Amino acid sequence: MGLFGALFRRRGPSAEALERARAWEEALERDALPPFVEERLAGAAAGRAAWVATMSPAELRLVRSHGIRPVATVSGTCWYHYGWSWTQGHAEGWHLALDRIRREAAAAGANAVVDVRMRTLRHTFGASMDFTLIGTAVKIDRLPPSPDPVVATVPALEFVRLIEAGIVPVGIAVGAQYEWMDNTGWGGGGGGWSSGWSGPTWNTQSVLRSWNSQPLYELTDFWEGIRRAAHAELRRNVAPMGNGVLAHIQFGEIIKQERDKQPPNFLGRHIVIGTVVDTPRRAELSPDIEPVVDMRDSLSPLRLPGAARHSAYSADIIDQEGAI
Amino acid sequence: MTDDTTQPMPEHALARLAGLRREGHPDGIFTSDFSVNEFLLVRKAGFEPIGLCVGSCIYHLGFQFAGWTASQELDLLSTAMYEARALAMERMRAEAQNMGADGIVGVRLAVKRLEWDAKVLEFVAIGTGIVHGKGHTGFKGPNGQPFTSALSGQDFWTLLQSGYRPLEMVMGSCVYHVARRGPMAALGSVGQNVELTNFSLALYEAREIAMERMQLEATKAGAEGVVGADLHEGSHNWSSHVIEFFAIGTAIVPIEGGADPERIPDPKLVLSVNS
Repeated sequence: MGLFGALFRRRGPSAEALERARAWEEALERDALPPFVEERLAGAAAGRAAWVATMSPAELRLVRSHGIRPVATVSGTCWYHYGWSWTQGHAEGWHLALDRIRREAAAAGANAVVDVRMRTLRHTFGASMDFTLIGTAVKIDRLPPSPDPVVATVPALEFVRLIEAGIVPVGIAVGAQYEWMDNTGWGGGGGGWSSGWSGPTWNTQSVLRSWNSQPLYELTDFWEGIRRAAHAELRRNVAPMGNGVLAHIQFGEIIKQERDKQPPNFLGRHIVIGTVVDTPRRAELSPDIEPVVDMRDSLSPLRLPGAARHSAYSADIIDQEGAI
Repeated sequence: MTDDTTQPMPEHALARLAGLRREGHPDGIFTSDFSVNEFLLVRKAGFEPIGLCVGSCIYHLGFQFAGWTASQELDLLSTAMYEARALAMERMRAEAQNMGADGIVGVRLAVKRLEWDAKVLEFVAIGTGIVHGKGHTGFKGPNGQPFTSALSGQDFWTLLQSGYRPLEMVMGSCVYHVARRGPMAALGSVGQNVELTNFSLALYEAREIAMERMQLEATKAGAEGVVGADLHEGSHNWSSHVIEFFAIGTAIVPIEGGADPERIPDPKLVLSVNS
């Protein structure tokens, strides 16, 4: 084989790496985990290997006092290409990532995953994006492992406070919707806009060209319809998991598409993502709330130069380079 | 005998964490944009969230001419800026009414510019519709409609503790053209420290008009006062001498048979040492 062959061989992946790549591929295909990942997670669950958590010491103290034990860092990733719909692609990408993080958590014998973060690399390869979830799998001492661990976006500190108040954060729900406003009535995503020369796009165009101040009623109605549909889908997505959702991520945009000798078309899309909770309604909250005034200076509005309250000067008196 | 010394946790929460699911949700599903703390405090105040309420209004802002030397309100623009926000708020309130909400807390009112047309602004009002857990009807806003408030869950709890309830968000807008100074006046002040009186007056007048309008709205709604009042100055892609003053706040009234001032506990002073 000679020198050339030796160099060439050394540059390729080792047999072991190839074996791992094959195991990953096979696992993804049959919705499972590779044997070495299962082994690592099972090891952490059984206490044979060190546990890994994103928690701060304060959080660790709180979860331990409630009989909760961190097990392992678990994740789920799906690199997804959106073909016919960017909007639906996002929903599908997150759902696949959720299935995968749940699978890892179940392999770790966990009851819940806390501090779940939604992440995306800022790399774009064409019309695709990665959807990644990372969190800390935890086990509750007095409970058997769950076949279906809950996925909580909140950090451990808030997780415990919610549980104490009878509120279980159980998962992540996504509602996504898009629609075209155009003249043909052939909307994507099941659009139902009527056609005709006096259709919504003609009316919208005439308002846009006028000198008057007035609401764009058609565009507003179109936009609200999309948003309502996205929220309705969010509720449908919540229903199998819990009875409420704290929706913290709302993303929407209206895109204008110019056309030759015709009024422009409009594409509206809206994505809403939230933490699903399961809680009996009208639950009594046990701990009393005591009002306090925090005397730290950093909380005083007088110390926030540049903020809305105090906008005449932007900087503090000592504008130094750093510690001496 | 048990040696379990850990903190107690509710039974239904434990069942859920063990992987058991409740089937069916008789009270439906709520949506909200509360944080964890807000959610807990709204519940502590005796309310339950029912749904996110959103209203928007996409608005085309036209043009209004103002003379070079005239300090004057651009009333068409004032009306437009007010109308656009009022429509967004009204649509939000209609959503809340359809859900059967007693009111909306945590309302945020935002203005977005659509990137494809500088004259088109989107006004969005978003908040969480809530109902009283025991069906108390005394919290509705004017005319039995849901109340609106910019108060966070924390502020809402604190306001109820102090014996008041929110009524509705009130606002006033004034778009004002500040006159340019003539060439003689500009020459006369070269090298001198002088007040530019016409500019001072214009700012005073514009701010006064916006505040008056907000106050009048609160009075008409039957409010005792306005909390969280804020005055924004802004320019939405207008010429440099045109400025909008926008006043907004939450009008409040005392709760019937509400808290006796003597019985409102003083907050305790604390100093946290770990941050």
